[in-house]
Amino acid sequence: MSDSTSLSDLSADVVIVGSGVVGGMIADQMVQAGRSVIVLEAGMRRPRGEFVEKWRDMSFFNRRHSDFQGLYPQSPKAPAPLYFPPNNYVGLSGPDGSAYQQGYLRIVGGTTWHWAASCWRHLPEDFQMKSLFGVGRDWPISYDDLEPYYQRAEEEMGVSGPHDPHLQSPDRRSKPYPRDMIPFGYGDRRVSEILNPHGFNVVPIPQGRSIQPYGDRPGCCGNNNCQPICPIGAMYNGIQHIERAEARGARIIAEAVVYSADTDENNNITAVHWYDSQHNSHRVTGKAFVFACNGIETPRLLLLAANSRNPNGLANSSDQVGRNMMDHSGIHATFLASEPLWFGRGPAQSSCIVGARNGDFRARYSANKMILNNISRVAPATEQALALGLSGQALDDEIRRRAACGVDLSISLEPLPDPANRLTISKTRKDPMGLGCPDIHYDVGDYVRNGTQAAVDQIHQISALLGGQELEINTKFNANNHIMGGAIMGKDPKDSVTNGECRAHDHANLWLPGGATMPSASVVNTTLSMAALGLRAADSIKRFFA
Amino acid sequence: MKCAHLLASALAFPLLLSVAQASTTQDAQNAHQDTQSPVLKAQTPDKPPGTIPEHKPAPVSGRDNGPVSAKTPVPGPTQSPDQQPTAIAPHTPAPVAEMHGEDALIARGHYLAIAADCAACHTNPYGGKAYAGGYGIASPLGTIYSTNITPSKSDGIGTYTLKQFTAALRDGIRGDGAHLYPAMPYTSYTHLSDVDVRALYEYFMHGVQPVNHKPPVTHLPFPFGIRASMAFWNLLYLDHSPLKAPANASDEVRRGQYLTIALAHCDTCHTPRGQLMAEKSSRPFAGASLASWYAPNITNGPAGIADWSDNDLFQYLKTGDVPGRSQAAGPMAEAVEHSFQYLSDTDLHDIVSYVRTLEALPDQGQTLARDSFGKPSDREAALRGLPMQDHGEWIYQSECAACHRPDGKGSPDHYYPQLFHNSVTGANTPTNLIAAILLGVDRTVDGKRVYMPGFGPGSFVQTLSDHDVADVANYVLRQFGNTSASVTPADVALVRSGGPKPLIARLGPFIAPAMGVGGVAVVLIAALLLLRRRKRSI
Repeated sequence: MSDSTSLSDLSADVVIVGSGVVGGMIADQMVQAGRSVIVLEAGMRRPRGEFVEKWRDMSFFNRRHSDFQGLYPQSPKAPAPLYFPPNNYVGLSGPDGSAYQQGYLRIVGGTTWHWAASCWRHLPEDFQMKSLFGVGRDWPISYDDLEPYYQRAEEEMGVSGPHDPHLQSPDRRSKPYPRDMIPFGYGDRRVSEILNPHGFNVVPIPQGRSIQPYGDRPGCCGNNNCQPICPIGAMYNGIQHIERAEARGARIIAEAVVYSADTDENNNITAVHWYDSQHNSHRVTGKAFVFACNGIETPRLLLLAANSRNPNGLANSSDQVGRNMMDHSGIHATFLASEPLWFGRGPAQSSCIVGARNGDFRARYSANKMILNNISRVAPATEQALALGLSGQALDDEIRRRAACGVDLSISLEPLPDPANRLTISKTRKDPMGLGCPDIHYDVGDYVRNGTQAAVDQIHQISALLGGQELEINTKFNANNHIMGGAIMGKDPKDSVTNGECRAHDHANLWLPGGATMPSASVVNTTLSMAALGLRAADSIKRFFA
Repeated sequence: MKCAHLLASALAFPLLLSVAQASTTQDAQNAHQDTQSPVLKAQTPDKPPGTIPEHKPAPVSGRDNGPVSAKTPVPGPTQSPDQQPTAIAPHTPAPVAEMHGEDALIARGHYLAIAADCAACHTNPYGGKAYAGGYGIASPLGTIYSTNITPSKSDGIGTYTLKQFTAALRDGIRGDGAHLYPAMPYTSYTHLSDVDVRALYEYFMHGVQPVNHKPPVTHLPFPFGIRASMAFWNLLYLDHSPLKAPANASDEVRRGQYLTIALAHCDTCHTPRGQLMAEKSSRPFAGASLASWYAPNITNGPAGIADWSDNDLFQYLKTGDVPGRSQAAGPMAEAVEHSFQYLSDTDLHDIVSYVRTLEALPDQGQTLARDSFGKPSDREAALRGLPMQDHGEWIYQSECAACHRPDGKGSPDHYYPQLFHNSVTGANTPTNLIAAILLGVDRTVDGKRVYMPGFGPGSFVQTLSDHDVADVANYVLRQFGNTSASVTPADVALVRSGGPKPLIARLGPFIAPAMGVGGVAVVLIAALLLLRRRKRSI
């Protein structure tokens, strides 16, 4: 912060906490609507090139094991969870605590710096889990309520998705995708040919990415390291909306850790308090407040900001803040196909098997989707070939064979919202600002465990169809960074935190858009839904001012 | 930014108002020289063209893509339009061979409008309708807006007679009698043949959709807004005399000259300008500053295109890309995108034939060909994992190498060009290197867009500071290019601000006070120059 002298007594129409895709998009919406906007971000602001170089300089071990966090510099006072080695910022417990090792960033621009740009919509059925399948919760809004915002979010992010309805999931759309799908690579085509007759339904992943230039955004240059960093901005990153909003007049303040809020007699938020990097406290007053800090940090902040009027935390009269924590707890499978499929060229993600995304079985067990990862197989192929004791030409040939034939499936499952899966503030562990760290208890539940068995059966079938050898299925659940549920939306203020506009039941001028509000997880990546909810919240905020 | 020459030209006229102060012997000398046609010099027996013009067989009549111009590029009636072999832009619907009379003339006018690149200025690239004007060119003196040249009777040129249309093209006089600013390149179009002017007229009257839209009116601040001052400028610099072909010029060269000067007006960018912003006849096509960019020397010496083959030149005009030599960016990318790519192969070959006759003109400090510098880098493997000492190299690796690769070789398909043996990195004037980094490259040819994002404000990759750009440019020059060139942050700031300001812009604030003193002298000098010019044209 170069202008620390001007940080006291700030004020804006709209104060946004969090500078990720949701905060950035809302900031951009509100400055366009003529509102003054301040965005407070706990993390630092660094240039893209720094991440690129840190990734290239990383050790083989960290790269091989997908250390997507380590290349992003952390504010010393506002850590993100790190795992190489673990910094234990998030305390995990419960039967599947290890499955909740989330890798979200605290940095200007947010975690979409290292996403893979998958831009899925929920299915219409996903909004009615209770009504249709008798499990989980219904959303207070329908797919059709959110559909226009899905469309707008796709346009904001420049999504490439299939124009062919047979390749869409879902195919209920008011308008075509802004751009047609990124064409299938050879492997995607070949796997489709082999699997689709058996009902697996391979579709292109809708992606916030261009392979051709799109406006001022360059086309993909094929470095194949979308995760952890697109070197040229061909992939959408939240920083793009932050910079757009900034150019239109929004003020972005980095290394600003919000820790409490003031409320008035009507329980409206009147100000938030934040620490700068030197631990000096500042206050920002505003008319409307948005907490879009990520699925863990938003409920954490609501709980940290408890005050006399809200003794259990802001927005928490229902006692639902921090509960219902979800993620697409996933499993992995790899095998060598009997023919070269050449995965690993172009963007890191390309196609996905969605045949088990929906069906009556959802009354009994979790749906799934299986991503055909398009990340280069050279690193694992090399490890495997070396382990065989090969050298010289034989080693080269084996690496080539394994890299060409390797298939890597990333399987996402759908947990149900369970109030017992809960984020609380640690009584013992504090962050460098002295604020309590988050603790999370997590159990994927029988719904996911039963769904896993179904997925494993499907993986065996897929591997057999592709002539698979060396099939390895890792059923130890892994985190997918799709954090949901901690500020769940609902019709009834007694059992939910926000309404269908992500507006807190308890505070008329507080919005909590993002994954935390989502009442059902589906099996698809959450970012597009989060962005759509953010745009819907922005419209709600505009009406608030009208 | 497009057609930056417009900007330069538009700045030229009011200088006359203060010529008493600004004018020197040099100005008079420039003006004097400008009365000579550039090619006249090449015609002088003791100064033959630097390269022998390529002689090709005479065109065979009835070929698909005939030449655009009359065989005799002298204004005046030539063949009947009906018999004229006419080349057609690819998107013109019907083959002209099947057309007769008016249709053929309109189709020919369409092609000529593309060759003259009228749309570059008169079609607003930001969602404007074809030829409806309104494209605002930011100039240091204020925004200059292109006019609506659709046949709209209310807002365009729908009421123009052929005579009025001709006056606009040849004399810079618009329909209501007011002077155009030389943003409109009428000093080039004045050489158009009668039949081509008529074809353009028929096209704009009958081949263009009328658009009833009034573009913003150009209001330059006093004293720049006085259009009448253009009369003086025209006396000095508007040369109606026919183009003088090089000695023993073949038909190809003559047609090429007509295409190059009368239509494509290549000289308006590539020929440097004197203090009064008229082209320097002593240095035709020797390279000139063009707002943020630099239009390089395209004469036949080492500073120019001596080492290019005819086919290289043809390919460059057709595609904007000759791997290992140069890629078109900035205004040249626009010229290729909007104009050259649609010209017939024959016409492009004719342009090349003419360009081959341009006398070699040296460029200070550029004794080796611009595309002969540098080699690939092998530093990356040794550097990886260590702290990089050179900030410029760090920026190169972090922001550039993802596409141009750590070794600078670019991609095998040349979509990402190599940086060594590249005229942008081998130039002693690194302007285009800075401009490419700041503004990027954007060129759509044959439906395929070649795009490099810029690193200026709002960059999708990363916004770089003047220091950053200077550092990375110096690394690129040192590693891949001309080691005698270097870049300072001030150089970057200059390119960022739109390039060197013409004298007039710098004098702007002082012009009005000077007018009282200078007015009489202006008239006298203008009259004197006029007399000298007339003498020579006798």
